[in-house]
Amino acid sequence: MKAICKSFWQMLSFVKRDMMLFAACAAPVLAGIIIRLGVPLLEDKLAKWLELPRILTPFYGLFDLFYAMIAPTMFCFVTAMVMLEEHDDRIDEYLIVTGLGKSGYLASRVFLPAAIAFVVTLVLLPLFHLTELTVLETLFLSLTGTLQGSIIELLIVTLSSNKLEGMAITKMATMMILGAFLPYFMSHPIQYVASILPSFWAAKAIYEQNVLFMLPAVGTAGVWIGCLLMIHATHPHQK
Amino acid sequence: MRLRHLFLWDMRFQAKYGFYLLYGLLTVLYIVILFALPQAWRGSAAALLIFSDPAAMGLFFMGAIVLLEKSQRVPCAFAAAPLHAMEYVISKTASLCLISLIVAAILALAAGLPHLPQVLLGTALSGILFTLLGMILATKITSLNQFILFTVPVEIACFVPAVLHLFQLLPTELRNYPANVCMDMIAGRSFTAAGILLLGAVIILLFYLAEKCVSKMWESAGGVKL
Repeated sequence: MKAICKSFWQMLSFVKRDMMLFAACAAPVLAGIIIRLGVPLLEDKLAKWLELPRILTPFYGLFDLFYAMIAPTMFCFVTAMVMLEEHDDRIDEYLIVTGLGKSGYLASRVFLPAAIAFVVTLVLLPLFHLTELTVLETLFLSLTGTLQGSIIELLIVTLSSNKLEGMAITKMATMMILGAFLPYFMSHPIQYVASILPSFWAAKAIYEQNVLFMLPAVGTAGVWIGCLLMIHATHPHQK
Repeated sequence: MRLRHLFLWDMRFQAKYGFYLLYGLLTVLYIVILFALPQAWRGSAAALLIFSDPAAMGLFFMGAIVLLEKSQRVPCAFAAAPLHAMEYVISKTASLCLISLIVAAILALAAGLPHLPQVLLGTALSGILFTLLGMILATKITSLNQFILFTVPVEIACFVPAVLHLFQLLPTELRNYPANVCMDMIAGRSFTAAGILLLGAVIILLFYLAEKCVSKMWESAGGVKL
């Protein structure tokens, strides 16, 4: 555990040098303020302009869902970029042969940042939410946001062998969150083509106010993470 | 001849690292999104998609391209080769613009955007603008996180006015702002000669700055001044 914490602090000092640590911490708060104050204001303006009673209000749940993904995605993206740098500079190989080991390296770069992102989301979501959220829903959104961030990070570091491939995978991986739009914008059963995406089930749980959908949301995320960890363990680029 | 070889090498490099596969998949995804939208929204959505992704891909990827080349010691080879920095800049810009143009053409046809040649010219100019900005930033950075942070002000300066202009939320006096001219062209709208002249001047200035930045990067390749 001591080695994991030391490795984590070493990564933080690396990120701090780039000012990215400050950006990663400030972005969720800024985004929260913009969503909490800006979206209802925009709704008022749009409703008056288009002379309709409600335009954005039916999608407030979707805003909460995306907000719950911001901090984890930011934290996991920053650490994924550090891992790609370390891989290109072959620092990861040196770290893995120390007492830290491969699992410790992964814990310090993936699981510890994810755990911190979970706590941060748990604190920020009740401050900046747009819909009434129960304690269970807050916990659920923070958890699915964190799992989604971890999946994106694992996809980046597992499927890419250098930073350029990493950026290409990042673009594709972030598309995974688009599954959240389907329950809101498509009533046809064709929406279930996105059922392999945790974001789809998370949005369904919030949109249909049905706690049962929380199970497939966490389940599919677990399957994704399990598969990616297995691929990572046998990845030819990660010695 | 050198430029042609460099251009082909860049295309091979992009193919090797999955750019063509990535943009093939993204094009399919974007077409699905366009067809899921009501007919009336497709034109604006296609313009937004073209401007924010294929046209801006240089800004997104240039940091990783330059950093990867640095870690593979490619700038050292370029510094020692009889190659001009401007050839490197043109080759990178042209090869990335080629992908942008192919994707933009497919999306424009799918969305039924009017004036395809104008859309493609707008995409090419936006692609050049973003790639040059990305290259100038990429020569100054030491890590990917730093690059991503540096691109934020550029993205705000380029995307926010262009998106607001697309939805006609900006005063008409700002229509000659370079990013807004690009957006007008991609959306198939009319644009002014003054706007095009200003955009051309900005692109020439950026080519000059990018050439200077790349020369400086090569001069210090390997950690010592050559």
